[in-house]
Amino acid sequence: MKLQRNANAVSVSFISQRKVSIAVQSYILIALPLIGFFVFSIYPILWTFRWSFYSYNGIASATRFIGFDNFITMFTTDFTYFKLWGNTFLFAACKIPFELSLALVLAVLLSQRIRGSSFFRSIFYLPSVISTAIIGLIFYNLFGYFGNINAILLKLGFIKTEIDWFASKNTSVAVIVLASIWNTFGINVMYFMAALTNVPKELYESAELDGATRIRMFFNITLPMIIQVFQVILLLSIVGTLGINDIILVLTGGGPGGQTFSVMSYLTKQFMPGFMDTSTPSLGYGCAMSVVTTIMFAIVAGLYNIFSTKIKNRY
Amino acid sequence: MKKNVWRLCILAVLVSVAFITVYPLIYIFLASFKSNIEILTNSSSIFPQELTFENYISVCRSNDFNIFRMLWNSIYYTLISVAIAITISSMAGYAFARGEFPFKKTIFAMFTALMFITTGGLDIYPKFKILTALHLNRSLGALLFLKLFGVPIVNIYLVRGFVQSLPIELDEAAQIDGCSFIGAFFKIIMPLLAPILATIGILSFQASWNDYIMPTIFTATQPKQYTLIVGLMSLKNSGSAAANWNLILAGTVITLLPVLVAYGFGNRYFVSGLAAGAIKG
Repeated sequence: MKLQRNANAVSVSFISQRKVSIAVQSYILIALPLIGFFVFSIYPILWTFRWSFYSYNGIASATRFIGFDNFITMFTTDFTYFKLWGNTFLFAACKIPFELSLALVLAVLLSQRIRGSSFFRSIFYLPSVISTAIIGLIFYNLFGYFGNINAILLKLGFIKTEIDWFASKNTSVAVIVLASIWNTFGINVMYFMAALTNVPKELYESAELDGATRIRMFFNITLPMIIQVFQVILLLSIVGTLGINDIILVLTGGGPGGQTFSVMSYLTKQFMPGFMDTSTPSLGYGCAMSVVTTIMFAIVAGLYNIFSTKIKNRY
Repeated sequence: MKKNVWRLCILAVLVSVAFITVYPLIYIFLASFKSNIEILTNSSSIFPQELTFENYISVCRSNDFNIFRMLWNSIYYTLISVAIAITISSMAGYAFARGEFPFKKTIFAMFTALMFITTGGLDIYPKFKILTALHLNRSLGALLFLKLFGVPIVNIYLVRGFVQSLPIELDEAAQIDGCSFIGAFFKIIMPLLAPILATIGILSFQASWNDYIMPTIFTATQPKQYTLIVGLMSLKNSGSAAANWNLILAGTVITLLPVLVAYGFGNRYFVSGLAAGAIKG
């Protein structure tokens, strides 16, 4: 009796010892990301929150606490930050409708059992693997004053003299949007193709028997069947486009006159070593912008989450 | 008959979009064989009037644009980044799939929440402060050190899902045979992770080879540490960009080649990374 109890106690302590040992070993395996989470993610975020209440440019003697002044300036007198979001939404509004409809049409065409469809798919996806900085460089060359696009347009007689694409806001935005669509439309072709494979073939067959045209089939069968996936794709491209950064830095550097800065590219150009022109950036003000940006993106991500769980629940 | 016309139309659309897609790349590739004067004056034709390898030779000889040093920087930066991505995400993914430990769910939720946080980038300053306190100068090495402490949540998701799909008897048997929890990971699980680690490896290869902003920030004061992309962009931003288009284009082609070759061979791994993008949101 006593012996058995001892044996039980031994095995219980053995099991709990094993449990402790597994817990310890698990913590060893996740040690680096766990330390990194607190030291290199959470602490830096708290740091930006703290300094957003200061006038601070890296020089200790010029540092002082100013409460909400940075935020008040940002929202009431200096409208730079508003304009940045305006530009960013402008990019999204120009890019997303065009890119998604192009991708959807291509995906529909590719799913028609065309010969070489996987070849076309690989070609369309190709620009997505290239560095966005290099894409900026390529389009900067193509749309340069003496570049290929101007030369071809001249030759074809569409224009009389060269267009200085980067001299006005409208043409700069057009080039940025074009380069950005070229960069990412292939990803959306892939997403749409995945969505289309889930549409039952029988629907098309019976519609064909009823004499429906292809265009009608697209609007009455394909679109309604993929609308839920479409929402996810839409939100993915919104989040992606709002974060647009490298391509603007390389193509226009925010020019002309800072009119093509997106939120992220402005923050990079004004406050990051290697990009900024000053050695004493007004970090306090930058931190305030950074804080509001973090909140804006969290809101977008939150909206995305609400939407995507709603979509999942419907299935 | 009608069907054939339809098919021809589809093919015409696909071919023209494919042409627009590859055109910029072909133009840049062929222009890199033009002389600098021709790049500026003969830009309407995609073919060089006179094929010259001069640009590649001068890129290799240029003192301001030390391509071999930049190539080496890009290579070691990329290789170490890939090694870090594979090691950290496979260990953490295994721990979250099979480990039992206090706060497991909380930690996983915290890591996931991080995915939805996009700071404006100014959080780089406190990171610099910590690195300085650790006596690490701003350099590619310091950036790699920072990557060591990153939270690669998308990759952790991928590995965790993969490990959960493996039969649990595998590592239980190993642990009954006297293997420790970590030992079972290295001896049994890690070899089985090859397919998913190939995906993670090729995606992080692409991401770090293409990386522009972070390497620029960390090498801002040290041109000797420039990677290919950073060097190219600094040449483009320098005052003499117009005079250097030949160097820039040849450098661009050299920078593009590794990724394009990898895409040619490992096409499906790139595409399977799309699933990762979908999780990431």
